[in-house]
Amino acid sequence: MPRITDLSSFNEAREAGLAKLLPPTPRIAIGMGTCGTGNGAEAVLQSFSDAINQRGLSIALARTGCFGFCAAEPLVNVWLPGKPLVILQRVQPNDTAAILDDLTAGRIPAGLALCRIDEWDHITGHVKYGSGFPEIPLWNEIPFFKGQKKIVLRNCGLIDPTDIEEFLAVGGYQALYKALIDANPASIVESIKAAKLRGRGGAGFQTGSKWEFLSKAKADRKYLICNADEGDPGAYMNRNEIESDPHSLIEGMIIGGYVTGASHGIVYVRAEYPLAVHRLETAIHQAEEWGLLGDNILGRGFNFRLQLIEGAGAFVCGEETALIRSLEGKAGRPTPRPPYPADSGLFGQPTNINNVETWYNVAPIVVKGPAWFTETGSPKSPGTKVFSLVGKVVNTGLVEMPLGTPLKTFVYDVGGGTANDRAVKAVQTGGPSGGCIPQEMFDTPVDYETLAQLGSIMGSGGMVVMDEDNCMVDVARYFIEFTHSESCGKCIPCRVGLDKSLHYLNRITQGKGTEADLATLDELGRMIRDTSLCGLGQTAPNPVLTTMRHFRHEFEDHIRASRCRAGVCEDLALSPCENSCPLHMNIPRFLQLLKEDRLEDAFVSVVMDNPLPASTGRVCQHPCDDRCRRSGIDSAVNMREVHRHIADSIYPSPRFPDLVARLSALRKPSTGLRCAVVGAGPTGLACAFYLRMLGHDVMVYDSNPNAGGMLRYALPDYRLPKEVLDREVELIKLIGVDFTFNTRVPADISLNELDQRYNAVFLAIGTWKENWVYLPGTELTGVIPALPFLESVSKRETVPLGKRVIVIGGGNAAIDSARTALRLGSGVTILYRRERKDMPAIPEETEAAEAEGAKIAFLASPHRIVGSPDGRVTAIEAVKTRLGEYDSSGRRRPIPTDEIVRFNCDTVILAVGETVDIDFAKASGLKISDRGLIEVDRYSLETSRSKFYAGGDLITGASNVSGAMGLGKKAARNIDKRLTGLKRWRDLFPKFEYDQAAPAHPSDSRRHHVRELEAEDRARTFSEATVGLTSVEAMEESCRCLRCDVRTGDH
Amino acid sequence: MPAEFLPGDAPQRGALSFEEQDFIDRLIASHQGQPGMLLSLLEEIQERQPHKYLPADYLEYLAARTGIPGAQIYSVATFYALFNLKPQGDHTICICRGTACHTRGSRDLLERMKLQLGLVPEEDDGSADKLSMTTPDRRFTLRTVACFGQCALAPVVEVDHAIHGHVNERALDREVDALRKGGA
Amino acid sequence: MNNKISIRIDGELIPATPGASLLETALAHGKFIPSLCHMKGLSSVGACRLCLVEVAGVNRLLPACTTPVQDGMSVTTQSDKLRRYRKITLELLFAERNHVCAVCVSNSHCDLQSLAQRLGVTSVRYPYTFPKVPVDLTHKKFALDQNRCILCTRCVRVCAEVEGAHVWAVSSRGVGSRLVCELNRAWADSRY
Repeated sequence: MPRITDLSSFNEAREAGLAKLLPPTPRIAIGMGTCGTGNGAEAVLQSFSDAINQRGLSIALARTGCFGFCAAEPLVNVWLPGKPLVILQRVQPNDTAAILDDLTAGRIPAGLALCRIDEWDHITGHVKYGSGFPEIPLWNEIPFFKGQKKIVLRNCGLIDPTDIEEFLAVGGYQALYKALIDANPASIVESIKAAKLRGRGGAGFQTGSKWEFLSKAKADRKYLICNADEGDPGAYMNRNEIESDPHSLIEGMIIGGYVTGASHGIVYVRAEYPLAVHRLETAIHQAEEWGLLGDNILGRGFNFRLQLIEGAGAFVCGEETALIRSLEGKAGRPTPRPPYPADSGLFGQPTNINNVETWYNVAPIVVKGPAWFTETGSPKSPGTKVFSLVGKVVNTGLVEMPLGTPLKTFVYDVGGGTANDRAVKAVQTGGPSGGCIPQEMFDTPVDYETLAQLGSIMGSGGMVVMDEDNCMVDVARYFIEFTHSESCGKCIPCRVGLDKSLHYLNRITQGKGTEADLATLDELGRMIRDTSLCGLGQTAPNPVLTTMRHFRHEFEDHIRASRCRAGVCEDLALSPCENSCPLHMNIPRFLQLLKEDRLEDAFVSVVMDNPLPASTGRVCQHPCDDRCRRSGIDSAVNMREVHRHIADSIYPSPRFPDLVARLSALRKPSTGLRCAVVGAGPTGLACAFYLRMLGHDVMVYDSNPNAGGMLRYALPDYRLPKEVLDREVELIKLIGVDFTFNTRVPADISLNELDQRYNAVFLAIGTWKENWVYLPGTELTGVIPALPFLESVSKRETVPLGKRVIVIGGGNAAIDSARTALRLGSGVTILYRRERKDMPAIPEETEAAEAEGAKIAFLASPHRIVGSPDGRVTAIEAVKTRLGEYDSSGRRRPIPTDEIVRFNCDTVILAVGETVDIDFAKASGLKISDRGLIEVDRYSLETSRSKFYAGGDLITGASNVSGAMGLGKKAARNIDKRLTGLKRWRDLFPKFEYDQAAPAHPSDSRRHHVRELEAEDRARTFSEATVGLTSVEAMEESCRCLRCDVRTGDH
Repeated sequence: MPAEFLPGDAPQRGALSFEEQDFIDRLIASHQGQPGMLLSLLEEIQERQPHKYLPADYLEYLAARTGIPGAQIYSVATFYALFNLKPQGDHTICICRGTACHTRGSRDLLERMKLQLGLVPEEDDGSADKLSMTTPDRRFTLRTVACFGQCALAPVVEVDHAIHGHVNERALDREVDALRKGGA
Repeated sequence: MNNKISIRIDGELIPATPGASLLETALAHGKFIPSLCHMKGLSSVGACRLCLVEVAGVNRLLPACTTPVQDGMSVTTQSDKLRRYRKITLELLFAERNHVCAVCVSNSHCDLQSLAQRLGVTSVRYPYTFPKVPVDLTHKKFALDQNRCILCTRCVRVCAEVEGAHVWAVSSRGVGSRLVCELNRAWADSRY
């Protein structure tokens, strides 16, 4: 074994290593970090090895560490002499044959290439791979790596971590050599100080100052400790660093030992990281053999021993005094400082502890100098930090970014946003010691001070992205459960305070919390933070304090409405589908009743939950689909179509009168109280139905001649036939709701009159006012707003429509307008300024429109409408947009380019959103919000005027049918509670006996879809475009339900 | 400084075979005086047991031979999550409860496994939330870990030391069924 | 090291010995700072957090028992915040285990009880845990009732630091922490 003692033996070893990295033959290196092997890298390696042997190929095969892009593992580096290094992604064992074919032919497998590297700056060394393959993007051109700067991860994924020669070839131990030759320890301490290198473990203390303390301490023996007991759940950069590049850690520690006078080093590694332990052991052994570690290092007379200790699983050992006690053979309970470890640490000797990543920054600073280091990052926090970006983002992995990079760069640019269309809600930084930063604050630069100001910390660099499916109360509870179980128990605030905090949080997630609990939690949190003995306790309340600060409404939802919007707190929901349903339909129940062949019971169950089941069965946005657990197996149960089927089976049948009688029998005895509902749209109808069922006299006022609101006057017939709606309205009339049509509020009847005549008034006026955009040319003939257009068509009025129609917008009204125009014989193009995935319309509707012949121009923002001299529309010009920064809705903002496209047309339909005509509410005593909507109490829906309630679009702005109906239902419940002073709501609903067992095995059938008429046929008619499920299909859908509502044990 | 080796202090109980006593003696000698000695000793003793735990007679012997107070050894053995004082099952299923795994549904996996294996948590065993439950037939042990550092593969479950990423309930059920049928 | 220095406690100038702790110095001059884990002659562990005080120029609270005096130090031992936190600390202790004074042998000669009276703790705002904890009655002369244990570890330290016997330690962690005799033996079976 060559022992390095001088420059020539050093250079010899480097040459040997370089010959391995850049051999005369092609080279394949498989990423074999734990992430890689967890994704099947072992099998890929085996497959390459077998094939190379079998074919007798002259190809070098090696293992390397992890290049950081975990979501694209297994990663394989391939290199052809003279060419760039190419990184292949998601390589599977059955890809290897083709890869070898390509390589032997001098090609790169095009489909698998992720990026190429022409040359690489290893900071202390440099490797030139070659040039070519311009069609493959450079590594830092692809979104995940763009903006990354690899200082700490300089060698990760590029060299074989078990081969010291390869490490030497890329400049390894160069800094150590320099330090020992220069023999000026004090100047290195000065360099570290000048570089303002801050501890990467979390607190961010100046490393140079700590080293200075230790170098000045007088003792026979001094210890250096590397804290690799990475315990933050959600952070795993240290594991990867050690697995992929163990020698850089060793080199940093030897230099640290040399300049501080420490002779003994200890690396304290988590036992949960077996591969890191193994690779570090190998590396220590190699370094000793090569004369780089142990006695007389590099022949310069310096001695340094390094020992590896496996931690046994205690998060608190991240605390330096606890780690020291652990090494002394005691339980890891922190001890007070003073004495500081620099004075009296391990076995009473002066000791310095630094985090893994801190040590990785040492060699670069020694070689390149402090000025180079401070070029990167922010003035107070120079350099880079490795973050583990995980959770609800597309690109997960380890990213090394300059400190001070804004949070949104991590989430949207590097992370690529969320995989599904759920909005990102928050990022949790710093693990159990950190906090949750809400989406509105994503401009925040990520550095020590700024995160601390927001109540979070940088910690070890964990970054967990959360979306709407994550409940922030649950997140707070989760972290307190964690710190509670990791608390050492020594000091009272942390031991008992966290126990009590957990108690309150548990209560809240079970719906048993009170408003007073929030105050108690807050006070307790502050007390634990201010009085705990060590960092664990002092930071443990951060997750609670930050979530209560930034997401208070979620806590209030749990407490006041027993509601967990994310559907995480299972005690608050019957099932995920029920929780997602704005009407909270007991979906598993009607599915089971149908399964038991009890159609009439199923109908009663459905109607009592949702008085317009046939209409919503056709037009609901079906949020239940996104939550169904069955989608983890194949795809969601088609719940919407099953209740459509149930309703459609009863309404036109002879059994209908019997069922009306059965529902009427459920009605509570008359209370003699009178309620008015203003607006006969879905919101008003829902409220009226329940108020009537509760025994009140109900009068519904509407300005139109018939009931249904938007369902009747805005939804085209092909989506919702009028006969279907008529039957549903008939049911509501039959149970005793009265209507007064053609009556406007307040023109025909004033609010004061309503106030005098009724005990309660519910306002449910829809969004009938079309937003108008400022656009040159909107005054031209042929420019029409969407809603009046749809209304005229559904009233069978003749609408003057041209041959070439442009629709502006991307919501349901835009798609409805387009499909309606198609049916009237026009050609249609939709202009939308964002991308397809940003469209608010129901995706199936958009697809149907395209199938019927509508064209959609994405990234096109209307610029002006061009008219003829006689004032008629002739064309529209749109600016092509490109996508810029992410806005507060989590979508990328369209930015205009110079390119203008022109569409010739004779009609322009504006469907850019609708608003409420709020004029009626002025001077009525009703408070109006900043958004121009009626202000109500979020929980009771009471307005500022007593007796008056409001719901639907009037309080939310334009929304969807089920969401609006949900508010109508909620209003009825609150109005009844106020009028009678009783909690009668639950008694209204009939009990059903049905099987309470989850299926032992999921049924085999696949999701049934509705049948659509052929696009060509349906585009010519206003008849309904889809045919509902058959009885057999509906039954099979019911059998697919996994029955998440069934609870085992006593929940 | 670490406790000194006390050669004169003979073992109190003869439960351990001579071979095992010799194993411990050599273990002590190899770690004598080094930082982290007790942790390393306990880790190696536990690893040696087929059922991965720290038997009382080993601890007695260790205390006697090293002079480390029994209370200190017991304190350490119960403080760290890795050590078990009870025999573990033939198969260990370890569910990661890290943040990324939690946000991707690891609690459901844990509940599912409890149900599958018929495990009911003991009342106040004084171990806070450090979960480790073994079936009465000692076939399976269900544990949790704070974080495997495999966050990009969340949710992660380790079955007999093999990491499985992106696990769902069905895959986990299949895994357990396979182990059940696999004998051992 | 005999040079006398002086510090201010609640505004009053007090002479102090370098190296002494704030708590010792205060107690020696008749200044009251509450504490439960401190005991004269034993090492300080800083566990009960009752002796936290405010020191001018330091932005966090410091435990008087482990903070050495420094010349010119100005210390506040009483403030609204400190009083509030001390009460919370005591209430947490009462809620943690089963402290039923009326049936306790230590009634009226109990540090916890008298401190609670002195600091005005009249009720506990937190729900009681009511854990089931063991009572060891095996020893001829003594009994160990962990229902009353507040984990001050005075007994552990007396046994180790004064007697040199090292019979006791704290096992497990967090709220599961319990006193343990040797390798979890009954007291009667211990070597002492």
